[in-house]
Amino acid sequence: MELLEQISFNLQNGLDDVVAALTKDAIEKRIPPGEILSDGLIAGMSIVGEKFKNHDIFLPDVLLAARAMNGAMEMLKPLLIKEGIPIRGKVVIGSVKDDLHDIGKNLVAILIKGAGFEVIDLGNDVPAEKFISAAKEENAHVIGMSALLTTTMPVMKKVVDLAKDEGLYGKIRIIVGGAPVSKEYALEIGADAYSYDGANAVETVESFFPVNN
Amino acid sequence: MRSVVDFAPEDVILDRAAILGSQGIPEEAELTENFERIYGEAIELFKELTEPAGIICGISISGFEEVFRGEGLNEPSNPVEDIYRKSGYLSLFAVTLGAVLSEKVTELFDSGDYASGYMLDSVSSYAADKLSDLAARNLQLELTAKEPAESQWRVLSYSPGYCGWNMSGQKKLFEVLRPQEIGITLNESYLMSPIKSVSGVLIAGSGKIHEFVSSYHFCDTCRTKSCIERMRNL
Ligand code: B12
Repeated sequence: MELLEQISFNLQNGLDDVVAALTKDAIEKRIPPGEILSDGLIAGMSIVGEKFKNHDIFLPDVLLAARAMNGAMEMLKPLLIKEGIPIRGKVVIGSVKDDLHDIGKNLVAILIKGAGFEVIDLGNDVPAEKFISAAKEENAHVIGMSALLTTTMPVMKKVVDLAKDEGLYGKIRIIVGGAPVSKEYALEIGADAYSYDGANAVETVESFFPVNN
Repeated sequence: MRSVVDFAPEDVILDRAAILGSQGIPEEAELTENFERIYGEAIELFKELTEPAGIICGISISGFEEVFRGEGLNEPSNPVEDIYRKSGYLSLFAVTLGAVLSEKVTELFDSGDYASGYMLDSVSSYAADKLSDLAARNLQLELTAKEPAESQWRVLSYSPGYCGWNMSGQKKLFEVLRPQEIGITLNESYLMSPIKSVSGVLIAGSGKIHEFVSSYHFCDTCRTKSCIERMRNL
């Protein structure tokens, strides 16, 4: 099996150590980093995504693959930057103020990262101002917010309003999610999108970026 | 009467099919070796780290009326109000699996072991929910033992955030129940710490009092619709 195929295959099986060793090998063999990414890692992740959609595998399997992907990406990132290959986009994500539940947010962050985006995870209990300042500092393209209970959801509106005040609204995309959040609520507060789960969040974030942008 | 309930870790119900079901996995699904390993490890970790505890406090109907009114934000028409008024016995409750489990989940995520973190979280979420069922069952057994002749007692738990009982209802509930004694605290947004905690009221009466038609406007946005299953099992 060719090296990049091996990377894809082992990534699908969630073998992070093997994927890391093979990626190192590929870098040493001077395979262009863009190719390692597209024909090895992303190729493997796409198959994982397909199998997940068809219910052939389930979330823990996807998370094992994502871990392998993220490990390899750490090695590739400096090389990709050096070659001027653009990162797909930058996402600042967090659970809103007073919300200490962050598993949903973590899953979304891991899966978006696994799809090749750069993710800045602000953690939980994040005040509205922090989302905005981090997005500015990081030149982020997307802000993602998560809430477990309706009682913490108003912070999401505050972030949208602050983005308007700061002239970021329309330039930066805002996506919201979490158990009590809905599409209607996203519309009502002026967020760009709502996603009901991690896989849908990846698709939505991808839809913000025209091909090769 | 207020008392701390000691649950033994082995009392916590772990039903594999139901746990997998809560992850959207059908019973007949074929699972990978990796999946089975992660599931097995999560169950072992759960058993090792769970610290189940509970607190209950019997309350009169008029006493509960005050707690239930809370901050005045309940839905004007809701099933809980109809049910508790017909009850024979009421008890405030709070249960928790403790903080260690959630700390472990965070640790696993931070170390990159996402799959194990997710699985442990999922097992814990399921178990926390079942712990409130266990509190209800214990009370049912206790009441039935006291009045064996009238063994038609059916006890179900009802929680703020469900069935039109506003989440802010937790404020008064905490004032009376004081679950801080078993380590449960409430923040200004009515979120409890540890995360794997459930609060509410145990309502005891005949099975019939728990029956209602789930066609209230807020039922549309309820994510669990667990009332249907609960009523079926009465
Ligand atoms: C499991 C569960 C519990 C468990 C564990 C809680 C936890 N999360 O750890 C237990 C039993 C302990 C519990 C307790 C309570 N719960 Co509860 N719980 C749920 C349930 C069934 C699932 C939540 C969950 O953990 N899902 C799994 C995780 C991984 O998913 P997630 O966080 O939703 O994240 C996914 C998506 O939402 C999305 N997403 C999340 N964040 C983001 C961010 C972005 C940017 C995007 C794009 C997407 C996205 O993608 C994620 C991955 O797929 C929901 C109902 C439901 N079906 O959603 C109710 C629910 C959240 N609970 C509810 C309530 C009311 C409570 C209690 C207040 C009840 C009580 N009085 O005791 C307590 C509060 C606990 C506390 N600590 O304060 C209500 C909240 C209603 C409201 N008005 O806000 C819900 C919605 C049920 C309902 N009534 O419809 N709960």
